Amino acid sequence: MQTMRWRWPAAVVLALGVLVTAGCGDDDDKQAGSGETATTQARTFAAGTTMAKLKDDGEIAIGVKFDVPPFGFKNPQSGAVEGFDIDLGKRIAQELGVKAKFIEAVSDNRLPFLKDGTADLILSTMTITAERDEEIDFSEPYFVARGRVLVKEDSDIKDVDDLSGEKVCTALGSTYEATLKKQAPKADLRLVDSYSECLELIQNGAVDAVSTDDVILTGMIQQDDSLKLVGDPLTTEPYGAGIKERDTGFQKFVSEVIAKWKRDGGWAAAYQKWVGRYTGEKQDPPTTTLAEALKLN
Amino acid sequence: MGTLFEVLTEHFDELGPGFWVTVRLVGASFAIALVVGTLVAALRIAPSKWLQRLGGMYVETFRNIPLLVLLFISYAGLRRAGVPINNWVAGIGSLGLYTAAYVAEVLRSGVFAVSKGQVEAGLSLGFSHPDVLRRIVLPQAFRTVIAPLGSITIAMIKNSAIVGVSLLTLPDLLKEARIVQARTFQTTETFFWAAVGYLLLTAGATIAFRLLERRFAIRR
Repeated sequence: MQTMRWRWPAAVVLALGVLVTAGCGDDDDKQAGSGETATTQARTFAAGTTMAKLKDDGEIAIGVKFDVPPFGFKNPQSGAVEGFDIDLGKRIAQELGVKAKFIEAVSDNRLPFLKDGTADLILSTMTITAERDEEIDFSEPYFVARGRVLVKEDSDIKDVDDLSGEKVCTALGSTYEATLKKQAPKADLRLVDSYSECLELIQNGAVDAVSTDDVILTGMIQQDDSLKLVGDPLTTEPYGAGIKERDTGFQKFVSEVIAKWKRDGGWAAAYQKWVGRYTGEKQDPPTTTLAEALKLN
Repeated sequence: MGTLFEVLTEHFDELGPGFWVTVRLVGASFAIALVVGTLVAALRIAPSKWLQRLGGMYVETFRNIPLLVLLFISYAGLRRAGVPINNWVAGIGSLGLYTAAYVAEVLRSGVFAVSKGQVEAGLSLGFSHPDVLRRIVLPQAFRTVIAPLGSITIAMIKNSAIVGVSLLTLPDLLKEARIVQARTFQTTETFFWAAVGYLLLTAGATIAFRLLERRFAIRR
């Protein structure tokens, strides 16, 4: 009897264990599946460089946003991550001749991810700032966004000066925390982990405004057209790819790929696909250099 | 060692208010947890089957929803349903009601730990049912629940950090620490001080419950 009594719970625990591990395996497959296989002729790299190491691994882990359309977001139908940053990531992987593995990196954890090696590269709508440049290295800018304010259609807020005393949402660890403290010192800042939370909070009326990059805010308007942009741009936000500090070789490589991407129409195609189609605006690839970008923020 | 103390002194005007927010959050939630927990426990030991079931439903509801989910429901969910709840009410309410379920269970088990013979003896001596509860059962039950209540309180203090990472945007100790960390990148130092902040609160709770335990101990 003693053994009988224990057999059932043991079987249940075992079954659960099998289910859980099976589930994990599934997840891994999906993540790997979101990368694209290399199509161009594989290049060779000098031994000891990051490029050679990635090549050996056959995979590059790229930290991207999962909830920021149109730059990095999960397609609700396919479950794959898509967006402007993703297109650039795939291009970089292609040039390396490896598979791109996209992992989620929110504003708050992307620098630690680079430092501890969780991610080899960060492409997550990250503004180049002098402060961040002390922790990591940046590629040449691949996009220039502008800081804007998003409100509900019926809001009285007309520009950044009207934010005094209002609840304003932005992401913890983003450049907007400092920007808003400077430009709207009396605003009641509400800091969240991700911009999808800001969208929820403005939709349910818990905050009066959201402030961040125009392209991210445009993505929110695509999801909810009862929202609108107001006022003049607060800031200029050049996006750069994040690279582990002092990895100059890899930084040069990524910058070269970005320059090539801008030249051969890849940039323009990605812009039209993810931004221009919705805003109706035309834009040329950014000509701002890294040195100029570092002086801006 | 230098930077460790520098992080505290340089960012005390952020970490300090964050600590105070956590103290208020925990204090108010604890009050709600005790009051509601006692009421629910009273339902669960009431002489009516229906009241017992009602109390049981409360416990099962609040004990089986993850706190983070409860926070989403109480803030985003209620606001979308048209209830203009603010983030403090949602935070204190969720943490308080969630903890109340555990308090109720501990109080109920404490009451059941008092032997049935004592109740029967009280009733046969002519005490009314509420009188038996108040004068005979509860004083003895109280003694046995002090230690588990202490554990629940400590768990609640730590759970307050879940309120901080939820979308409630309450600037509690953890949130302020994360803001400082995101700006300074001094991860170890910042979270060290956050841990010290929580330790101050949990250590305070531990000492308070130790004293209570000693005060109500049976001298053998």
